[in-house]
Amino acid sequence: MNSISNLEAVDNIINSTGKVIKKEPISDFQVAYEVNKSDVHQILTSLKLEGWKQLSYLSAVDWPEENKFELVYILLNWDKPVYIQIRAKIDRENPSMNSIIPIFPGAKYYEREAHEFFGIAFPGNPDYKKQLIMEQWDDIPPLRKDFDPRAYSDRKYPSREYPDNFSKKDKENESLEKQAKRRKRARKLRTGGEE
Amino acid sequence: MISTKYTEKKKFNKQEIDRKWWEVGDYFRRNSLWLLMYCTGCCAIELPPSMTSAYDMERLGMGPMATPRQADILLVSGYLSLKTLRRLIYTYEQMSEPRYVVALGSCPINGGIYHDSHPVINQLDQYIPVDTYVAGCMPNPESVLNGFVDLMEGIKNKTANGWKKYHKNYDWYKKNQFDVLGEVVIDDEFHQ
Amino acid sequence: MILSIFIGISIALFGFVLQTSIGGINRKIIGRLQKRHGPRWYQEFIDIFKLLSKRSVSHGWIFDFGVIMALGGIIATAMFMPLTSTFLAFENYDNFFIFVYLLAVGMLGMAMSASGSGNPWASIGVMRALTTMLAYEVPFLIVVLTIVNLSGNSSLTEIMLYQQAAGNNIFLIALPLGGIVGFIALMGMLGKKPFETYIAPAEIASGPMVEYGGKQLGMLFILHEITIFIEVSLFVHLFLGGATNIFEFLFKYFIVYTVANLISNVNGRFKIDQVVKFFYKWPLLMAVTQAIIAIYFGWVI
Repeated sequence: MNSISNLEAVDNIINSTGKVIKKEPISDFQVAYEVNKSDVHQILTSLKLEGWKQLSYLSAVDWPEENKFELVYILLNWDKPVYIQIRAKIDRENPSMNSIIPIFPGAKYYEREAHEFFGIAFPGNPDYKKQLIMEQWDDIPPLRKDFDPRAYSDRKYPSREYPDNFSKKDKENESLEKQAKRRKRARKLRTGGEE
Repeated sequence: MISTKYTEKKKFNKQEIDRKWWEVGDYFRRNSLWLLMYCTGCCAIELPPSMTSAYDMERLGMGPMATPRQADILLVSGYLSLKTLRRLIYTYEQMSEPRYVVALGSCPINGGIYHDSHPVINQLDQYIPVDTYVAGCMPNPESVLNGFVDLMEGIKNKTANGWKKYHKNYDWYKKNQFDVLGEVVIDDEFHQ
Repeated sequence: MILSIFIGISIALFGFVLQTSIGGINRKIIGRLQKRHGPRWYQEFIDIFKLLSKRSVSHGWIFDFGVIMALGGIIATAMFMPLTSTFLAFENYDNFFIFVYLLAVGMLGMAMSASGSGNPWASIGVMRALTTMLAYEVPFLIVVLTIVNLSGNSSLTEIMLYQQAAGNNIFLIALPLGGIVGFIALMGMLGKKPFETYIAPAEIASGPMVEYGGKQLGMLFILHEITIFIEVSLFVHLFLGGATNIFEFLFKYFIVYTVANLISNVNGRFKIDQVVKFFYKWPLLMAVTQAIIAIYFGWVI
């Protein structure tokens, strides 16, 4: 039983349960499937029955150009060396995805994290709205691409003001030629004359 | 030549006697500094070499302590996120006075490489008073020990009086803390 | 009477100074053992005086009163301790069981005060300390009762004189199994490393001492030093034949404490159930064997 036949077996399982939009083999041991939002639960159920019984991680990716969020479910099998990523795109406006707690109860905390960082709602998860990591967040969810952490940091945390410019440039040795010369000399010293 | 003229014997008033006792106490305090290592960030990795046989912190009379009540120095090692800052302030207020704060690394000074990060604060001394900074990303054990020796000098010269500042400007510090942390309402399952 | 009390308080003070200095020297020795420079020998004094110079927080009157009660109890215990076979404060009041009873006052005061702080770590630490006490007392008392049976007296000076008499060996040699049990029990009493379960700084944040800071912690340190003085002196008097002069006492005291400390520093820490199982297995077996051999067969070296 090698990994190629494992990948084919995964193909069979997924094609028999739902429609695959795009398949992307990542390596010999990893494969990603992009599926419809409505097929995710069925595919996860059948994969769990076939032995992929651990949910390694539930992540989310922001695609502002397409106006979509992408949810990534990563599954681990303890018997066969294949990681499976199930990807599903959901709308960026009022994002919502039914919870997978009935299939993988451990997804509770991943869903809370995704809600906190991306603002995705998970109906079916009883306390996805509770804060998990950040306390009293007061802006749009911070891992969205349109969130500007620098502006937030400047607004919220006072930054230190330096009255003097401590990094005074050396005007004479600033030219590119001299910099290259200095670097060359340093390399020569380091390597003992070899180029 | 000693003058034979009668001079009135110098009398110490109460403040001067207090000051003398305080100086005696300062000798003991600066020679036995116990650390509370609040390992918030990556600079904590510099503490094992400065404690063990290579640099041996114990020859200066310093050592790690288990709880905030017993410790003298609150050692902030590295960046502070908002969530950590709240616990840091709780810890600082539990320590018995006189208490000192040493901040390692460039993150507590001006944010360091996290200066534009959303959960990491930029300046520690807005929220609690800091007695000694040790700059560097990360500072090597020599500079860590140098920072402690600086703190000892500060205690000797009465410049390390951050805890007095905290009492004096308590309202200002509290206002800054509330601005950044919000009210003390924590709504998650670990606090219900 | 007043002179006796004065001598007794001097003995307690002497015990504090002695144990604090030897503790500091031992920190230096341990530092050298670990290829470090080590602190100054008077570092422990600086630590204690620094703690007394700090401001402290109170957690209610039980918290404060318990510390003072524990310190008073321990000083009262130390007052009865003979230093040599002739020098002691209260003649005829140096019975072994006086120390067993009076030490309990100090322990109880500390337990009361620690529970008064309301910290869960303190409760766990006190519970563990009492469990450890339960574990080491049984084999230790069996050995001590054997000694009392052999020497025919439970007074410390009489036991010392019995060992110093011509033809008698010291009990560490006369009762080899019992001597080993006594030393292991001493390690348990001192809270040294394999039996450090109730302090455990990394596990339960120094146990009963978790809420102490400043002056209360300073008093607790003084208490700790005097307790160590009492326990090590008990071992010296019971097993090493006591001392005829003060220098012999100092020498034996230093050797015993240093050996205990060295053993402590190359060991890990037991869990609390392991401590109890250990003490109820080998030391108890050895103590009972020693008692049977010594009392019923009369085989004493």
